[in-house]
Order: sequence, then structure tokens, then C-alpha cells
Amino acid sequence: MAAAAPPPPPAPAPEPAMGPPESAPIGHPLFTRIRLATPADVPFIQKLIHQLAVFERLAHQCEATEAALSRTLFNSPPFQSFTVFLLELSHSPLPPISSPSFTPHDRVVNSDLPITDPEKDPFISDPINEIIVAGFVLFFPNYSTFLAKPGFYVEDLYVRECYRKKGFGRMLLSAVAKQAVKMGYGRVEWVVLDWNVSAIKFYEQMGAQVLHDWRICRLTGEALQAYDHVNI
Amino acid sequence: MAAAAPPPPPAPAPEPAMGPPESAPIGHPLFTRIRLATPTDVPFIHKLIRQMAVFERLTDLFEATEASLSSTLFNSPPFQSFTIFVLELSYNPLRPIYSPSFTPHERVVNFDLPITDPEKNAFISDPVNEIVVAGFVLFFPNYSTFLAKPGFYVEDLFVRECYRRKGFGKMLLSAVAKQAVKMGYGRVEWVVLDWNVNAIKFYEQMGAKILQEWRICRLTGEALQAYDHVNI
Repeated sequence: MAAAAPPPPPAPAPEPAMGPPESAPIGHPLFTRIRLATPADVPFIQKLIHQLAVFERLAHQCEATEAALSRTLFNSPPFQSFTVFLLELSHSPLPPISSPSFTPHDRVVNSDLPITDPEKDPFISDPINEIIVAGFVLFFPNYSTFLAKPGFYVEDLYVRECYRKKGFGRMLLSAVAKQAVKMGYGRVEWVVLDWNVSAIKFYEQMGAQVLHDWRICRLTGEALQAYDHVNI
Repeated sequence: MAAAAPPPPPAPAPEPAMGPPESAPIGHPLFTRIRLATPTDVPFIHKLIRQMAVFERLTDLFEATEASLSSTLFNSPPFQSFTIFVLELSYNPLRPIYSPSFTPHERVVNFDLPITDPEKNAFISDPVNEIVVAGFVLFFPNYSTFLAKPGFYVEDLFVRECYRRKGFGKMLLSAVAKQAVKMGYGRVEWVVLDWNVNAIKFYEQMGAKILQEWRICRLTGEALQAYDHVNI
């Protein structure tokens, strides 16, 4: 999972103008939303996954195609299996969307300067309203036998480079944590590369603990395929 | 996850007696089976999890009750969510069971000496046929975005102490691996405590790789509950 840097402290809520109505504008508002992904978002998800692989120096391991994602990601109701939240944003107010399973989180973020997004074009989810996809989080239920409760495991968290250091990674991960609490779940877990000190700081600021004693074991490729012929 | 020690090399298949029919008996055959757990197995699962918490020196984290296990573990079809394989065994041949979702793995294992099981009475799943529960594995689907395929995550693997070092842990983990291949899944993953050198050897012998760079992050307890009130 990638997180480029810890977010800055949250931006203060916009204050009403103190002088007459013609006084200074309040910077460049960015209208942001975290919503459930749909099959129509697969092209964006696929590009984001590849960018994440490059960031993690694991591009050679990334085989995800749009077809494979479409086939595997939308077979169950949200939160019961693999689930994706997308972060999208626009310089115009966002039109409401219908989303019965999950109320999107909408937030207006103010920046002093407009954000330059050199790779905006492949990430335009709504050309009419100029809405762009900026990041995603993919998670699914796991289980803690000690708690005898489900939790969420966050497989991927990624924000496109020009949108980093603005609190968006924190918003995406917080959305998962909030959903976990809402559902009475016991834990939210993920992994971090031990050299990613920025990410570790960010996660600790979020209230997570890094469990230093555990190591991941993985059985895959030919070593896994060999079990097809094993007599148990 | 607990694994006490690497298994010995597999026992050779029983050979037909070389002499006249009255020649030496073939030791003490143990009839073993790996099958899907059902709700009636919850009392055994609960005891096994508690034993595992003791083994992992994590009893302060143990909160599971039979009720909480029953209410969280059997809400979906096998393999689509949290799934348990139980290892049971008997000195009598095992009668066939009805199991449409999964064909049990059965194996006869021969030992020179009978196994003394001092806590057998707490684990008798079938008093009439004298079948005893000896271990379990709990696993659920996870997702690899790089492969765009599901996999299995093994949350728990445990064999009761008197039945260790006989290949049963390998059988349980192999059963999960075989199911993963059968379903076209890409990976089987789990974690190991970095001091558990026996388990690490065992897992490497199974063909797994230890991913040294990744660390688990966990958000839980009050730190997780705080997200209930956070404005995303």
C-alpha cells in the first residue's frame, strides 16, 4: 500500500468574509468526494493500481487488466467483499449522486494556489462537470478470531502525485475506519513497507500501531500451483 | 497464527505384508479427515482458539465467546467469506459424511505407538464413533490488485499439542492451498511471528516466501472508535 507523505494538519473551515462583499476571494476551493466505485470506474482503478505499483517499485509484478478487475471486483454487495472507495474532485460544486449503500463524504478544501494536474485527462470521470479521479482505497472484510469479529483489511491506498500532502490519503483511510466503526467491526489493518518512513508517520498519526514482530508469508506462482497435484 | 514445529517427512504409504497373512500388524492406524466446520463445531473452535492464544502469548487479546463465533462465522457460503476446515481423527474408520460444498480429505496415518490425548474429552465431536477434533484452519478471501485476483488469507492454523510433529499442520495448510488452486486464486498468505523459527522453517518447506520488508499496521480499540466522530 502506498502513502507518499503524511498529510498537513486539516485546513481550517472557510471563514465568512470579514469586510464588505467585494473583499478578497477565499483561494481556490476544491470540491472533493469519497464515494463507492462502480464498474464504470474500472479504467481509472486500473491506471491507479499501475501508478501504485510503480511507486512501490513493484511494477514488474503488476498484471491487472481492466477485464480482470471488472470480473473480480463487483460480484458482491459493498463491504461484504472487495470494496473500492474513489476520491474524486472538481473546481465546480459536485452534483449529488444516488448511492443507497453508502453516503458519500463531501468536503470543500481550500488551497491558496490552483492545483496543476498534468495527467488529468485519463482520469476525467465526468467531462461535463469536470470531475477528476484523484485516488482510491481498496479494502475487504477480514476476521479476528481473538475478537470473534470481522474487521477491514486495506489492500491499497493511493493518491495521485499532484494531490498528495493535502490530507486526501487521511480522508480515504478515515472513511474506511468510520465504516468499520459503523458496522461494529473490531480492527482496520494494512501493511507498510519498512522503508516508507513518511507512510509510517502518517499511519501512526492516524492512531495505528505498527506490529513489528509479524512477517507476511506468501505462497504463490508455481509453488502454489504444485498443490493442485498434492495428495492431502 | 500458530504452528508448533515443522512436520516430519511424510510417512511412507502402508506396504502390503510381505510374509504370510499372520505376520506383524502395521502399528496404530489413525483415521484422519479434514472437513468444513459447521455451527455444531463452535465449542471446539472456541477451545482451540483459546489454546492458540496461550501458545502465541496473546491471551490478553482473547475475547471470543461461543456466541460471538456462532454469530459471525456461518453467514456466507463456504469460501466466499470466513471459512474453517476442521481436522478430526479416530482409531476407528471414519464413516462418510455429507458435504456438498467440499469433498473432505481423508488419510490413514500409521504410528508405532498410540497417541496419548490427555484433553480428549473436551474435543469429542462424535462420542459414538469416538471422533476427536485435533486442529483447525480459518481462512477467507483476500484480493491482490496486482494480480486482479482473489486469494486466501489464513488467519489461524492450529493443531493440538499431542498431535503436533505428525504432518497435520501441513495437511491443513495444504488443503487451503489446494482449494485456492482449484478456485483459480493467485496467492495464499498468512503471518508468522518473527521468533517462531520452527514455523518459519515449516512454511518455507511448504514453498512459501517470507516477505521481510512488510509490517502490519493495526487500528483498533479506542483509536478506531474515535473515527465514529471524525468529519471525513
